[in-house]
Amino acid sequence: MKYLMLIAEPENAYEGEAGEAKLTEIVGKHMALVAELQAAGALLGGDGLQPSFTATTVRTQGGAQTVHDGPFAETKEQVGGYYLIEAADLDAALAWAKKIPVVDGGMVEVRPVAEY
Amino acid sequence: MGAEAAFRAHGARVVAALAARFRDLDLAEDAFADTCERALAVWSDAPPRDPAAWLYAAAVRRAVDLKRRAAVRARLKPDLPPPEPDPEALLMAADRPFPDERLGLIFACCHPAIAPEARVALTLRVVCGLSVQRLARAFLVAEPAILQRITRAKRKIRDAGVPFEVPGRAAWPERLEAVLTTLEIAYAQAYQDAAGASEAAELGPEVLRLSGVLAELLPDEPEVLALAALVRFAEARRPARLDELGAMVPVSEQEPDLWLSPMIEEGARLLDRAATLRRPGPRQILAAIHGAHLSRLETGVTPWADIVELYDALLFFRRDTVTRVNRAVAAAEAQGADAGLAALETAGAPRDWLPYQAARAALCATAGRLDEARAAYTAALALDPPPAERLFLQRRLTALQM
Repeated sequence: MKYLMLIAEPENAYEGEAGEAKLTEIVGKHMALVAELQAAGALLGGDGLQPSFTATTVRTQGGAQTVHDGPFAETKEQVGGYYLIEAADLDAALAWAKKIPVVDGGMVEVRPVAEY
Repeated sequence: MGAEAAFRAHGARVVAALAARFRDLDLAEDAFADTCERALAVWSDAPPRDPAAWLYAAAVRRAVDLKRRAAVRARLKPDLPPPEPDPEALLMAADRPFPDERLGLIFACCHPAIAPEARVALTLRVVCGLSVQRLARAFLVAEPAILQRITRAKRKIRDAGVPFEVPGRAAWPERLEAVLTTLEIAYAQAYQDAAGASEAAELGPEVLRLSGVLAELLPDEPEVLALAALVRFAEARRPARLDELGAMVPVSEQEPDLWLSPMIEEGARLLDRAATLRRPGPRQILAAIHGAHLSRLETGVTPWADIVELYDALLFFRRDTVTRVNRAVAAAEAQGADAGLAALETAGAPRDWLPYQAARAALCATAGRLDEARAAYTAALALDPPPAERLFLQRRLTALQM
């Protein structure tokens, strides 16, 4: 099965000098994880995203479309990246999800990809 | 064995094996239901030698057929006629053993990815075969709500790819814990009704059976054995939990002759085996507390000091209010009502919680603080106790008013 693993973290964790050091550390861990996923033949895709202040949202309502500055919702944690993987079942996907490096308060949402 | 009894006895194993094979609980249940209908029609003259294997073999065919039809419908092509059943092939397949996937099914139903409030209902529905109607009555929830919980959980298991497998040992602290907690919640529903009058009490025998199956399948897991022991110790006392007028009888005042000895012995064997594995846990201590109460059958006295020590050990695992209040009640017996009351007041129990007010009332009465005792009994009665407990509390209050 294909699973999308969405990473959400408190963005302020990467602010300031300490934040930059943290980012370097986390990115290093992502590189290692990418290598491990590739070696296992499980990696289908994945990227990091620019911070949520760069997000623009197109909303459709009542037949009209409007463009807004910002993400879906202004929450403390924001989606900052994703992995698309192939895994035998949810337990295998969750095992990968637990290996994704995140800062304290970070979350990984595991969603099966719908197959039609 | 009649057909209906065979369906009930083998249903869980057949559904589990189907679910593991097709990774779809709805499909497994539908195929099994259709197969039971067919069995009723064809078994009448010649019931098979191995009904479980027959049911499995026939249900696999039915499941394949249902899947094929669904695929055909999805492609918007006209439905094909179902294949003719082949009695010869069915008989041959029916002689082959099929895998026991019940444990994997329990793990799937209690997966942390399933909403906690859905786990109990789903497990009892799928593993024990309880109807949605009975579950709704047992949990005092409307049928559509229970049905929705179960339906969503089944869909999640199918669509998110929850495996029907026993996870590796490394995952057990999380996974086995979820299974045991689910069974504990199910049993708590059954136990709280001393009278055994409500639908919830019917869950008692189901959890008794399920915990036994789990202990049989995982004989080297002390907490699994302890849960099975615990349920047996508690169910063994059921005949003694009410007096002739229907009032609750506290465990220390129950008539030991009414306890069910064979069930106590079975529990003791399970708990002994758990102890030899030398990995202590909260359920082993809880079972030991139940066991200590039951030791009165032979010694004639309740070993309250031992029970307090066991509660102290339990607090190491569970620092919750229930444990603290129960410990306070035992401490009152072992060390006097004042010590018990002091412990009770620091237990952090909410004032509008029935077990707290009931315990406080009893301890105040023993300590001679009669005004406070009457007030606590009145407060307890205002918290809507179940009928048997209401009768008990009412009687105690009346005695204090004389």
